[in-house]
Amino acid sequence: MTDDVKVADKTDSLTDLKETDEDLRLPSVVEPAHFPVETIDTEARHQTPAVGQRATRPDGRLHGLGQTKYIDDITFPNMLFAKMKRAGISSALIKSVDTSEAEAMPGVAAVLTGREIPVNSYGPSYQDQPVLADERVFHAGDPVAAVAAVTEQIAEEACERIKVEYEPLEPVYDPVEAMKDEIRVHPPHSNIYATKRIKKGDLEKGFAEADRIFEGVYSTQMIEHVPLEPHASIAQWDPNGRVTLWSSLGRITLGRADIARTLDMPINKIRIVGTIVGGNFGGKNEITTEPALALLSRKTGRPVKMVYTREEEFIASTTRHPFIMEYKTGVTNDGMITARKVRLVLDGGAYCSWSETTLGKACILSAGPYNIENLLAEAYCMYTNKTMTGAMRGFGAPQVCFAYESQMDEIAHKLGIDPLELRMKNAFHEGSASPTGQVLQSVVVKDSLEKAAERFGWKEDGQ
Amino acid sequence: MTDVTLTINGEERSASVPPETSLLRLLRDEFFLTGSKLGCDVGDCGACTVIVDGLPVNACLMLAGQVDGRDVVTIEGLATLEDLHPIQKAFEEFASLQCGFCGPGVIISAKGLLDRNPDPTKEEIKDALSGNLCRCTGYTKMIEAVQDAARILRGEKEAA
Amino acid sequence: MKKRGKGMGCMWYPIGFTVMANPSAATVKVNEDGTATLITGTVETGQGSLTVLGQIAAEELGISTDDVHVVSADTDATPMDTGAIASRTTYVTGNAIQLAAEKAKNILFDVAAPMLGVRPDQLEAKDRRIQVKGFPQSCLPIGEVAAHAQNGAGTPALGSASYNPPTVAMDPETGQGKPFSTYVYATQIAEVEVDEETGEVEVLRIAAAHDCGTAINPMLVEGQIQGGISMGVGMAIQEEMLFDDEGRQINPNLTNYIMPTSLDMPDLEVDIVENFDPTGPFGAKGVGEPTAVATSAAICNAIYDAVGARIYNLPATAEKVLAAIKSKDHSDRQKYLPAG
Repeated sequence: MTDDVKVADKTDSLTDLKETDEDLRLPSVVEPAHFPVETIDTEARHQTPAVGQRATRPDGRLHGLGQTKYIDDITFPNMLFAKMKRAGISSALIKSVDTSEAEAMPGVAAVLTGREIPVNSYGPSYQDQPVLADERVFHAGDPVAAVAAVTEQIAEEACERIKVEYEPLEPVYDPVEAMKDEIRVHPPHSNIYATKRIKKGDLEKGFAEADRIFEGVYSTQMIEHVPLEPHASIAQWDPNGRVTLWSSLGRITLGRADIARTLDMPINKIRIVGTIVGGNFGGKNEITTEPALALLSRKTGRPVKMVYTREEEFIASTTRHPFIMEYKTGVTNDGMITARKVRLVLDGGAYCSWSETTLGKACILSAGPYNIENLLAEAYCMYTNKTMTGAMRGFGAPQVCFAYESQMDEIAHKLGIDPLELRMKNAFHEGSASPTGQVLQSVVVKDSLEKAAERFGWKEDGQ
Repeated sequence: MTDVTLTINGEERSASVPPETSLLRLLRDEFFLTGSKLGCDVGDCGACTVIVDGLPVNACLMLAGQVDGRDVVTIEGLATLEDLHPIQKAFEEFASLQCGFCGPGVIISAKGLLDRNPDPTKEEIKDALSGNLCRCTGYTKMIEAVQDAARILRGEKEAA
Repeated sequence: MKKRGKGMGCMWYPIGFTVMANPSAATVKVNEDGTATLITGTVETGQGSLTVLGQIAAEELGISTDDVHVVSADTDATPMDTGAIASRTTYVTGNAIQLAAEKAKNILFDVAAPMLGVRPDQLEAKDRRIQVKGFPQSCLPIGEVAAHAQNGAGTPALGSASYNPPTVAMDPETGQGKPFSTYVYATQIAEVEVDEETGEVEVLRIAAAHDCGTAINPMLVEGQIQGGISMGVGMAIQEEMLFDDEGRQINPNLTNYIMPTSLDMPDLEVDIVENFDPTGPFGAKGVGEPTAVATSAAICNAIYDAVGARIYNLPATAEKVLAAIKSKDHSDRQKYLPAG
């Protein structure tokens, strides 16, 4: 027999099997892909000294191969899928939640409401956010119940069959309106839930020394982080009363304490495994669905997974604070800043989340990287019945930078000074005192101005 | 149920799925090819991009039934046991991916481009990647990597 | 007509917040062949922090990036970490790792000193060797020392440490104090083209010069800057969550919430400003967040330079820019605050 015949025989018999015997069809779980066993060793990873090397990322290789396992890529036997019923109303009292129809649906394993959460509140600064809203709804994206079912689709259909009776309350959306405290988001608490003040020098004296006063009001919008991987978690409750959570959370140690608090459990009975996170940008800095999934897993004895839809990523996760920023700045005719007064109003959304940190950073940074002897910066953060705002890349710094740098530009144009020169004149130097009186070190503002100007060709004609 | 037989990464595969099943769900849930990601499920983000009969498509927008008898290449089909695909190699060398979630879709879109156009301009690369949202990288290092991979595929530069 | 303009944005940003405790802990184990394992409680959220943290451990031990394997993010096994937030990982977690690696290294020095006939403080770790300072020819491979530490001396080389930036509380009335450990600085300059008829803005290029202290991995720093700028572009001209009268978001999807695609990104020219911060690991500070700070100001100032219209309210959508061009009288400054 020749080799050709052998091959032909083999092929024929395989084809026969496929066509005649359904049971012998190859199971679909056979992985067809070939992953490289060889590694390409990029030089920088092997160099010493290690610091300063353009070393490649081992996780980068797995990303490119599609091998990184994000939460949605992880499956366990008998795993259930969870969905949450969203309020869709921005301010209301919850009169009743009827889950009976959902629970009766085939394929539904468990339904969870806020009243079943041992301690139904959480948050990194104030614990003002319910895991599942039980008495009151604070914004339209609030979850009011969670369902675990054998498929996502059944869980979603079950959510639609949960009947919630609301008593609508008057909402407040505008932070300036909210500041009046006529309509309170979290009664009896004031809507102004965080304030910050930085005071330095003598403001009146500073403005008196100025030749020109510039005033402006700047505002910024609400922005979503848009991580490409939505928030996701899997919970597995075990028969020893321990729960393991695979989560897209970016701060697992502190998240574990938050979860322990909501579940009223010892910390050592909770394990969080942080998987590779598909984008964070500050948006995955607090727990979300983890406590609810843990309880659904306990109710069912099965692992439970939930992945936010893209819509939930927008309406039920944190966002960037909209800011309203009042700036008043005194300058001399040759462009030296003598005084600056800043007032910031932050739309804090329905819950505090990381607003305190955002407010603090924004307030401290609001004067810009400039030597200003006489300064007053005040910042206020307001509850409104909108999606909660929280940490997002820069914690308020991009907002205030838009304001102080827009005003610097205006000052430069009005005084007829080159914008680069105006900044060089006022910029921090080594040993400058910050607005909080901190003596600054390793200060390179001017170097960065010069370097960027050189790279851009700022001083060249026709630019 | 809909019966589907298709070629995935060079091998014939079959499955029986509910008629509303998307190609993405078919790949991920039936064949456990989880390299293609679900980022929006409505064709906005491109994280699920695969090649069907030579052209990049959003797998979330195609029904499983529509790919019956067709040829599908996913991110899992690019590397061999011996080596990475030149695009994957370039993406690693340039640190083109950060969180990586968009990566498989981006690399597949790049492959779709280079298969058709081995010497694309920067604008053509930007155009080819415009359906793939990335929040981490600003796309800059991706574009550089695609240019580099194109040079290697054209034989103008030796692979590392 | 399309008009071009240039504008700049300059910023500062704090690294290592100290208004509340902000600790990280880490463990470094040197294996008996001279490779090492780093155990950290931080989470890789895309920045490449695990690679950078590995480089810090490697540097302290005098070995290469590839010699260090990083284990992370499991509360049952990894030590406390405040988390992947506030651009703190390289600085705070990095400092903890450097301290932990130093402890492991000191065990190696104790073991190597009698082998080389010197005192432990006369030794350094460099190029995968434990060597006598000033006499590099007097050395031992780090693997030999590590193996002897474990199998001979019975003192396996490992170290655990934590770091928390030093705190000075802020005065509640004046805010005076030391709220952050250190700061980074940056400037971005944008060139835009504005269509006077439609108000549409195209960002053509951005030059960015960023300080991050020592760039532990310049390639990854560049990636952070480029990515941060893309977020800044979105903030400047595209992105906005919009709500209806009943507080429901009307664009909770990527069809109607517009964020930058490859076609929206300008050409980027990135420079890392040389700097060294004595309080950071090998002089490093941080880079994640500051990259997204100055972009929107630079772009809006460039719009002003191009068409003389000042944008007071973000994002600078075509509609808003066109209105500003038409009025040029700051008519979009409607949102005044109540006095007080």
